Amino acid sequence: MQLDAAEPEATGPGPAQPASSPSALRERLSTAALALLLVPAAAGAETATNQIDFSTLYYGEQDRTQVFEPIVRATRLFGDGQAISAQLGLDVITGSSPSGALPSGTVQTMTTPSGRLVTVPAGQIPLTKFEDHRAGLDVDWRKPWGSLVTTTVGGHASREKDYQSLGVNAKVSADFDQHLFTVSAGGAFNDDSVFPVGGTPIGLSDGSEVTKGSNSKRVKSVLFGISHVMTRRWIVSVDGTRTYENGYLTEPYKVISVVSPFNGLPVYTLTDNRPSSRTRSSALLSSVYHLANDILCTSYRYYTDTWDVRSNTFDVKYRHDLAEGWYLEPHVRYYRQTAASFYTIGLSTILRPPEYATADYRLGRLTTLTLGANLGFRIGDRPSQWTLRAEYIRQKGDTAGGDQNGVQSHFDLTPTINTFTAVLGYSFNF
Amino acid sequence: MRRPAGFLRLVLVLALPVVAGGCATVHPWDRDLLAEKRMSLNPSPMLHAIDEHIYFSKEASMGGQDVSGGGCGCN
Repeated sequence: MQLDAAEPEATGPGPAQPASSPSALRERLSTAALALLLVPAAAGAETATNQIDFSTLYYGEQDRTQVFEPIVRATRLFGDGQAISAQLGLDVITGSSPSGALPSGTVQTMTTPSGRLVTVPAGQIPLTKFEDHRAGLDVDWRKPWGSLVTTTVGGHASREKDYQSLGVNAKVSADFDQHLFTVSAGGAFNDDSVFPVGGTPIGLSDGSEVTKGSNSKRVKSVLFGISHVMTRRWIVSVDGTRTYENGYLTEPYKVISVVSPFNGLPVYTLTDNRPSSRTRSSALLSSVYHLANDILCTSYRYYTDTWDVRSNTFDVKYRHDLAEGWYLEPHVRYYRQTAASFYTIGLSTILRPPEYATADYRLGRLTTLTLGANLGFRIGDRPSQWTLRAEYIRQKGDTAGGDQNGVQSHFDLTPTINTFTAVLGYSFNF
Repeated sequence: MRRPAGFLRLVLVLALPVVAGGCATVHPWDRDLLAEKRMSLNPSPMLHAIDEHIYFSKEASMGGQDVSGGGCGCN
């Protein structure tokens, strides 16, 4: 639910500063009364404004992936509450990520997806270097139907070297009981294509045999949510989503080491192979509470899917306003997931490979901790808003100790991944 | 592989206090605080979308407030 000051039902203009004294309270009440008188005239004026949002993301994993992503979003806000937005984003991705193969006590020679031979020093986790660009366009149109119902329809298109995504989405929200309840329902459909560089390897093979062309991946999602004004200071919402994925869900560049059960040394690698369907479900409980001056946002998400991944996510943000347009918002997020049923750190040379297997650490048991803060500020007299957010993300996998034998027991197969992100944003209306 | 058994039940359990809670009526003229933009459940959609993309690329979970947006080859 969003009771935006621009909406007719919002009875107060909602300045960010708290009414901490009787005179400030009187001033706010007068402003609110004036706003009530002016709302019908303003609604009939049909005046339109524009809003531009810029942001630039830097994402840097220590010794691994780096991403630079500028985004621009243009929104046309109409006097009757309609809004049309278009957002364009460009990702520049460089660096390397773990191939899934295990380290060895000796130098390993491996073949990259593009057919290049690389050597991996003894004891190091094999990494695959990559470089990619991704361009994405999102458009959406929000339209109120009377004062109780709002619809939003949107579209998405993005393209990168080996992946394309085309999607549509729609959502309807309805207010009940004097706008104290908002019920939302929505759905989305994405028709994606995966066309790996060098062809698509056969799953759980040595990777030498590939098929050309693209692979289909279809994603259908549904959402149902309820938000409720609990008190004058408190809004709570619960959202449930279910996502059905079908098609090519394998990571074509990942491999799994097949190791000797006697000494743990990698003998050869097999390609990743995952089921061709996955049903994901999530339940999100969110709360926004207005303290005397500050805002406390908390959320908890439970997630489960048919690959046996289950996760719990806790998120807390605390916004403290410093002056008009200036605020500081510390943020903590904690995430923990279980492993997919077919996740393994490696296969054995003496056992027949299973139907599905992956050594992608992102499907293993892991924990992510995020610490950061968002600073909002203004420069000059222009009514615009700058934001600068810096965050540290610490991710640690958790392999079961008993899975490692021989030489593998000497290695940390899931080292801590330290990531630093920074987002600079700028918004203005005209 | 396991179906997400009992998941709907969990959503209903979570929704119960949301629907039933808040006995006090909040009159329209008492909603000055609720009308502030910072009281929105998603005050910064662009930042939210950036976060969704980051965590989608690093973790096995997804989903939350929204179903819009597109796929990515990152995971």
